[in-house]
Amino acid sequence: MQNFLKFSVTLREALDELVQSLQSSLVVVRGHRFGAGAGIIWDSSGLILTNQHVVGEDPPVVLLPDNREVEARLVAQDAQVDLALLAVQAPDLTAVRPAPSLPRVGEMVFAFGHPWGQRGYVTSGIVSAVGAPRTAGSQHSLMVIRTDAPLAPGNSGGPLVNGAGEVVGINAMIVGGDQSIAIPVSVAHTFVQNALAHPGSARPPDRPDLQGVL
Amino acid sequence: MAKNVLVELSEALANAAEQAGGATVLVNARRRLPGSGIVYAADLILTADHIVERDEDITVLLADGTDIPAKLAGRDPGSDLALLRLEHAAAAIAAPASEAARVGQLALVLGRPGSEGLQASLGVVSAIGGPVRTGRGGMLERYIRTDAISYPGFSGGPLVDASGKVLGINTSGLARGMPLTIPADLAWQVAGSLAAHGHVLRGYLGIRSQPVEIPAAGQKALKREQAIGLLIVGVEADSPASSGDLMVGDILVGVAGAPVTDHDELYSHLSAEWIGKATPIELLRAGLPKVVNVTVGERKL
Repeated sequence: MQNFLKFSVTLREALDELVQSLQSSLVVVRGHRFGAGAGIIWDSSGLILTNQHVVGEDPPVVLLPDNREVEARLVAQDAQVDLALLAVQAPDLTAVRPAPSLPRVGEMVFAFGHPWGQRGYVTSGIVSAVGAPRTAGSQHSLMVIRTDAPLAPGNSGGPLVNGAGEVVGINAMIVGGDQSIAIPVSVAHTFVQNALAHPGSARPPDRPDLQGVL
Repeated sequence: MAKNVLVELSEALANAAEQAGGATVLVNARRRLPGSGIVYAADLILTADHIVERDEDITVLLADGTDIPAKLAGRDPGSDLALLRLEHAAAAIAAPASEAARVGQLALVLGRPGSEGLQASLGVVSAIGGPVRTGRGGMLERYIRTDAISYPGFSGGPLVDASGKVLGINTSGLARGMPLTIPADLAWQVAGSLAAHGHVLRGYLGIRSQPVEIPAAGQKALKREQAIGLLIVGVEADSPASSGDLMVGDILVGVAGAPVTDHDELYSHLSAEWIGKATPIELLRAGLPKVVNVTVGERKL
């Protein structure tokens, strides 16, 4: 019993630290199509990563962790991996730490976002699966992370984080109600590199059968 | 990764999933969604009976990605378990937990429902229940319930503890789609019987009976408070009961020292261990207690 109490205290401390550190890199992205989604500060120079389906045609507005509201420039978007890269001009930004590798099935994960407009909401779960589902009508299959951490509209573009506070994925979809899908951070990495090499690039959607978290 | 308590917990859970996941397989034996199973012995797969819709053209996908043809070795619809025999042996064998599941302990539900690989969800052991009469003419002495989600295709897969040991086999085929877990000791018992005989052995007496009240005088004669017994209303010809001197009108009140007050109890006490053995059957005959030895037979399916 004593051990469990000790454990629950250290667990709470670890959770506190994790939540504090992530909140400082979590932004609100106000697109013009579907209302607000989430995003993360990818780079302290002002690069913001979010889901493609959160961003509309017009330049989105980004609400920073300290409540500064800034207009963002759309650098690139790719509907096939459902990612968009934005750039804002603001000092004192804290970037996320990406995980160096794919998570393992069973690992604890935490999803950050703004479901139903509730800002900075955290849900937890484990990694349910890591793999590439074969989707009907699609030529390629995209590596995804499945988790049982509950997501809702407003979670899109937010980070999925491991116990060390490293981002393992970008939350993107709800499937079947009790499972959520995140884009692995390695996919995000490649996307950002391509985006910086070819700014203004856009790829059309290629996944009609998955439903985005709006 | 910085080693905080969350990271340690994550690693422990991922290790448990990986260890048990190595013996968790995909079973391809029905038309639409495949199911899951576990490696029970080098060439035997234990799975849920209801996902095995055909006897032939069955394949099993192992954790290492090899696809092995398999044949049905036996099935027990009563407990919704089936055993498949692989054409050649698998590597990792599932290890059952040495202790029974406890309410509150962490548990992972594992499955391998598709080509995407192992899937898992986390919860706790919510309840231990039973006995329950299953929808398929069987009795489950005990079952485990968990709040970990069973995703489609998880039937036949394991519920595992935090060290990756198997607590039981999950199935949604016993209680109208509600997921239940068959405790490992019961599942291994059934699997052992399926491996040896192709079906689960059950004892057989050859009586028809109905529950009746035992009058106060009868209970006094029994020297215990037992309000209900089973009145024998029919004895099959050439059955263990007829050669063992059971008669219509006897009230059966116990088997092998255990009181029997309804058909379910009689069913569960007539387990395979008594087959072929002289088993003491406790009766009230004409209001007086009597014990007769009956050599229990094997129940034909």
